[in-house]
Amino acid sequence: MQQNNNLALGFLAALLLPALLAALMSGPVSIDLGAALAQGWHSEAGDAVILWQLRLPRALLAILVGAALGMGGAAMQGMLRNPLAEPALLGVSSGAALAAILLLYYGVSWGLARENGWLLPLLAIGGAFCAVGCVWLLAGRGASASRLVLAGVAINAFLSALMALALNYAPSMFAMQEIVFWLLGSLANRGWDQLLLALPFIAAGALLLFCARNYLRALSLGEASAASLGFRGRRYPLLVLGGIAASVGAAVAVAGTIGFVGLVVPHLVRPLVRQDPGRLLWASALAGALLLLLADILVVNFVGAQELRIGAVTAFIGAPFFFWLIVSGRRGQAL
Amino acid sequence: MKKAFPLVLLLLSIQATAQNRIASLNLCTDQLLLNWIAPERIASITWLSATDQYRKAPLPEHIYLNRGRAEELLRLDPDLVLVGQYGAQRAAGRLRQLGFEVADIPDAYSLEQLSEQLQALENVLGENAPLRKQRQLLQKLLAQPPAPETASALILSANNITYGSGMLEHQLLERAGFENLAAADGAEQLRRVSLEEVIAAQPDLLVLYGGDKDFALAHLAERHPVLQRYFDSDRVFKLPSELSFCPALVAAEVLQQLTEKRKSLAAKQ
Repeated sequence: MQQNNNLALGFLAALLLPALLAALMSGPVSIDLGAALAQGWHSEAGDAVILWQLRLPRALLAILVGAALGMGGAAMQGMLRNPLAEPALLGVSSGAALAAILLLYYGVSWGLARENGWLLPLLAIGGAFCAVGCVWLLAGRGASASRLVLAGVAINAFLSALMALALNYAPSMFAMQEIVFWLLGSLANRGWDQLLLALPFIAAGALLLFCARNYLRALSLGEASAASLGFRGRRYPLLVLGGIAASVGAAVAVAGTIGFVGLVVPHLVRPLVRQDPGRLLWASALAGALLLLLADILVVNFVGAQELRIGAVTAFIGAPFFFWLIVSGRRGQAL
Repeated sequence: MKKAFPLVLLLLSIQATAQNRIASLNLCTDQLLLNWIAPERIASITWLSATDQYRKAPLPEHIYLNRGRAEELLRLDPDLVLVGQYGAQRAAGRLRQLGFEVADIPDAYSLEQLSEQLQALENVLGENAPLRKQRQLLQKLLAQPPAPETASALILSANNITYGSGMLEHQLLERAGFENLAAADGAEQLRRVSLEEVIAAQPDLLVLYGGDKDFALAHLAERHPVLQRYFDSDRVFKLPSELSFCPALVAAEVLQQLTEKRKSLAAKQ
C-alpha cells in the first residue's frame, strides 16, 4: 500500500515535467520550442524571448506559488485540525494583499518598489503576520482551534472590506477592476523579477514548516498529547504561522489571492501520505504546484476579451475532486 | 454692406456678453473650456476635471464643480450649458425645459469627427482664436495625403488592449506613416494583445498610452522587462492620456510628433 502511494507521489512529481513542457508550448503565439531552447537565454530572436522571458518565468511562478499555497493549506489544516482550514481562513492572504495594495497604490511609486524589490514581499509578509496576530489576539490566550477559526473568519472579512475600501479610493483609474485581481489572482505579465522576489521568502517559509513537521505530527494526536510529547509553549505554533505567513504572503504579493489550492490540495493528497501531516506538507506542495500550473495552462489557452482569472480556474479544476472526496467520505471512507 | 458691418459687430458683442457664464456637463468640454476660454467666463465644470488625473493646473476658485445635476446649475444661472453626446442627458433636458441655452457638443472618434466637434464648439462659443487655430490645423492635416507607410507600430494600452482600424489612434498612426499591426491583423476596434504577440509582431515602434503615473496592475505589461529593449533603443512613443478622453486638445500635436518619430526611426535605419 505504502509503495503504491509512493508510486502515486512519484507519478505526480513526474507529471510536473510534461506539464511544464505543455505550459512552455501554450500561448497565443506558436513558437518553435526546440529552436527557441537552442537559441538560448540571451538570444534576441522573437521565439527565444517569448520562451525564456515570458513563458518560462510564468510557468515557474505558477509552480512556486502553487507549492506555497498547497504547503500553507496543509500546515493550516494540520495546525487547526480543521478540514476547511486554508491560509485565507486566518486572514494570511487578505493581510498580505492589503499590505501589498497599500504599498503599491498609496506608498511608493512602482519604480521605487522595483528598485527596493524586497519591500513588497516583506510588507506583504508583515501584513500576513499582522492578520495572524490580530486573529491570535482576538481568539485570546489558549484558544481552541474552533475559536481561532471564528476569529479568523471575522478578521478575514474585515480585511477583505478594507481591501475593497483601499482600492476604491486609490488614485488609479483601474482601482475597482483591480479588486478582481487581488481576490482571484493572476499570473499574467509576470516575469523573472516577480519570481526572484517571491522565491527566497517561499523557501524560508518552507524551511520553517519543515522544522515544524514533527509538531504537526504530534498535534494530530491532540493538543494534550502533543504537549506531553514536548511540543508545548508558543514556539511551535508561531513556527507554523511564520512559515505560512512567509510563503503565502510572498505568493500573494506577486500573484494575488488564489483561492481553493490551499483548501483542496491537502485533501487530494492526504490518502497518498497515509494521513501523515509531516509528509503531507511536501505532497501538498507538489500537488499545489501541479494544480496551479495546469490551471495556468487553461488560462493561457482560453480565448476571450480578458484573460480568465486563475482563481476561478483553480476552483473549476479543484471542485470536482472535492465533490468526489465528499461523496467517497459519505460511503464510509475517511476524508 | 458698410451699414451692415456695425450691426454684425453689435451682434457679435451681444453674443460675447450673453455667454459670459458658461457651464459644462462633460469632461471633454470642461477641458476645452479650461484650455481655450478665459477663466472668468467659466461658471462651472464637472468634478472630474478637479481630480488629480485630469487637472493640469490649479483651478480658479470661482469655478463651481458640478456632478451633472440640473439643480446645481440652476442657481449659477449660466448663459450657456455645454453637454456631451452621452451622459448628463437628464440634467440637460431639464435645463432646456427651464429655458436655459443648452448646446450638444458631439463626441469625436475620428479626425473628421474632431473637425465637426470643433466646428460645433465654435458655433456656440463664437469667435475664439485658439479654437479656430486648432480646427484649421486639423483641417490642414486632413487635407494632406497620408504619408506612405514606412514603419510598423503597435499600440499597447492598459490591460493589454490594442487599437484596431476603426479607432482614432489608428488614423493618427496611419497618417503619420506607420502601419498599425493590430489593424493589419484584422482588429477593427479594441482588442486584447498579449506580450507574446507584441514580441512576435516585432513592431518598429511600440506605442504606449499615458496615464500611468499611479500604480495599476493594468499597466504591468508595459513595465515587463521584455519590453526594455524598446525603451533602450528609443523605439517607444507615449500617447498623451488626453487623446483618450478629449482628443480635440492634442490630436494635431500627436500627429505631428508621430510623424517626427517616424522620420527619426527612418534616419536611424
